[in-house]
Amino acid sequence: MNLVKIVGKNMRQRALATWLTGASVMLGVALAVAILLIKQGVQQRFEQGTLGYEMVVGAKGSPLQLVLNTVYNLDVSPGNVSWKLFEQLRNDKRVKLAVPFSVGDNYKGFRIVGTTDTFFKDFEFEPGRKPELASGRIFNFSEASLMSAFREAAERAREREARERGEEVKPAPEPEHAERPFEAVIGSTVAEQTGLAIGQQFIAAHGVQPSAEAKLHTKNPWTIVGILQPTHTAVDRAIYINLDSFYHIEGHELRAPTGQEKPAAEEKDNDPDPGQVSSIVLKLRSPIMAFGLYREINDREDAQAAFPAAEIRKLFDIVGNIDKLLLAQAILILVVGGVAIAVSIYNSMSERKREIAILRALGARRSTIFSIVLLEAVTICLFGSALGLVGGHVVVALANGALYKASGFVIPAFHIQPLEWYVLGVAVILGAAAGLGPAVGAYRTDVAKNLAPTS
Amino acid sequence: MSDAGTKTILQLRNLRKSYPSSDGAPLEVIRLREFELGASEQAVLVGQSGSGKSTLLNLIAGILLPDEGEIRVNGTNPTQLSEAARDRFRAANIGYVFQSFNLLQGFTALENVLLGQMFGGGNGSTDRAVQLLKNVGLGQRLHHKPRALSIGEQQRVAIARALVNAPPLVLADEPTGSLDAKNGAAVLELLRRICADGKHALLLVTHDPQVMSSFEKVVRLEDLQ
Repeated sequence: MNLVKIVGKNMRQRALATWLTGASVMLGVALAVAILLIKQGVQQRFEQGTLGYEMVVGAKGSPLQLVLNTVYNLDVSPGNVSWKLFEQLRNDKRVKLAVPFSVGDNYKGFRIVGTTDTFFKDFEFEPGRKPELASGRIFNFSEASLMSAFREAAERAREREARERGEEVKPAPEPEHAERPFEAVIGSTVAEQTGLAIGQQFIAAHGVQPSAEAKLHTKNPWTIVGILQPTHTAVDRAIYINLDSFYHIEGHELRAPTGQEKPAAEEKDNDPDPGQVSSIVLKLRSPIMAFGLYREINDREDAQAAFPAAEIRKLFDIVGNIDKLLLAQAILILVVGGVAIAVSIYNSMSERKREIAILRALGARRSTIFSIVLLEAVTICLFGSALGLVGGHVVVALANGALYKASGFVIPAFHIQPLEWYVLGVAVILGAAAGLGPAVGAYRTDVAKNLAPTS
Repeated sequence: MSDAGTKTILQLRNLRKSYPSSDGAPLEVIRLREFELGASEQAVLVGQSGSGKSTLLNLIAGILLPDEGEIRVNGTNPTQLSEAARDRFRAANIGYVFQSFNLLQGFTALENVLLGQMFGGGNGSTDRAVQLLKNVGLGQRLHHKPRALSIGEQQRVAIARALVNAPPLVLADEPTGSLDAKNGAAVLELLRRICADGKHALLLVTHDPQVMSSFEKVVRLEDLQ
């Protein structure tokens, strides 16, 4: 017989109260752990997602919006930048790789991204990791075809403006769809959730967000030619189409890039801009060159450069405050659990007083009685916390399925955070604090009075 | 030396104990000139209900402290010890049997006895506890909780618990008070027989004439004043 056994017996004797109070602590800890895991996991995933995107160039506006739109396929594009800028950057000696992206359509909420074959051949979305095909092939792309598409788009823009001025417009000949690839390579989540397979076609809806009123591009169905392997990044939730076909679609007209007053197609200089893209992702030859290029681009009136990693850190600095609020809420639940333990032990004190008196009569010291009550409160807290730690991880593991469907990535549910050990420490302190009052009550129990027969 | 000429195990001299009454004035419940009990002696202390019998036992056990007077148990005055030392002394030197048994309900018969051993600084062996329970006829009921035992059996567990640390003094406060006549007689006979091994002195308080008639040494509390 020892103190631990006595505490265990006491807890078993009041099993329901032990379970209920332990459960309240468990809820608080599980919530705290889940918040920690989700916060860490999301931040890690977001930061990891920026690894391959050293610098993003896009229209003037919010750099975070540009990063979210280009790297994570979230939010809307802040605008377009000129193809000339893309060519300048592609030819810049400091740039190792430039990949253009254009967005504007979706299929069942999945972002459709127009790009070139460079994205599959040379772009590493994470160091050493390129988008790999699970089946099929990548789409056909030709820069000559893209230039022709730009011309068509510019022609459509001129027609639209003429109509707006009330001029009679002779309709331009229909684009030669048969010669256009209209091919798509889809991410693994898109394939899984839409059921699209190689050879199947889909109709894109205009706009990056799904909407019942969205115009459907029924004239230009896209054919699936490839399905990508899972990357656990935003790539899984995207539909990649060839940029040349993208600009053949009605509605994808050239607009004035930021800082320009007229559409690119109407420029009268000797070297008119052939077209536009939503953003450009750059990989640089050396990080030392990054800041010079960054400043040069940001000095322009028509474009901005952003470092995705820095923007995401800024985002999490803001989101971090929300995390703290949630964590404070979890701690409050934990404190409520502690109060429940104190109340439960206090409520049992009337029947315990006789037991305490018996133990004292048998020779137990006041300090021993104090320790028994305190140990019981700490044990309930520890027991609840241990279940909460496991529960928090299990909740995240169970939520991962839904998270993967919603965001395309999963959180490492069973990765133990160092902070979790602090949670256990807090639980011990909380248990001790909760047990202190009842323990003092037990310490002061009047032995002679409580030994007297009760009947 | 006690009346029997053996070593004195319990000495009480000029003992006084009062409680504050409802009007604030002290109410004297114990006023005792002298009392002695020899080792292996068995005595019954008789008094009316409310005459302070239980208070006297609690004073002897060191659960209560006297306002005045001297208590010596096995040569030690427990009132001069610190509270913690008095608790240790009680566990090692005094076995206490209560009227209402005072067993812990969540513990088995054996565990209740082992609790007594634990606070008496026992070596953790269950042998003596098991043997004592066998001696009181509960060899087959070691792992039964108090609720599964009859009241007579519960009091026998309490007797085994009181004796587990081989205390030189056993105090019994109305040990048959909650039992029917048959169980009461059996428990009393058992308690007296076990304490008659020469190692334990027994001081039993009662107001039951049936019980006092079985003792040679009967002391009336009012005669000690």
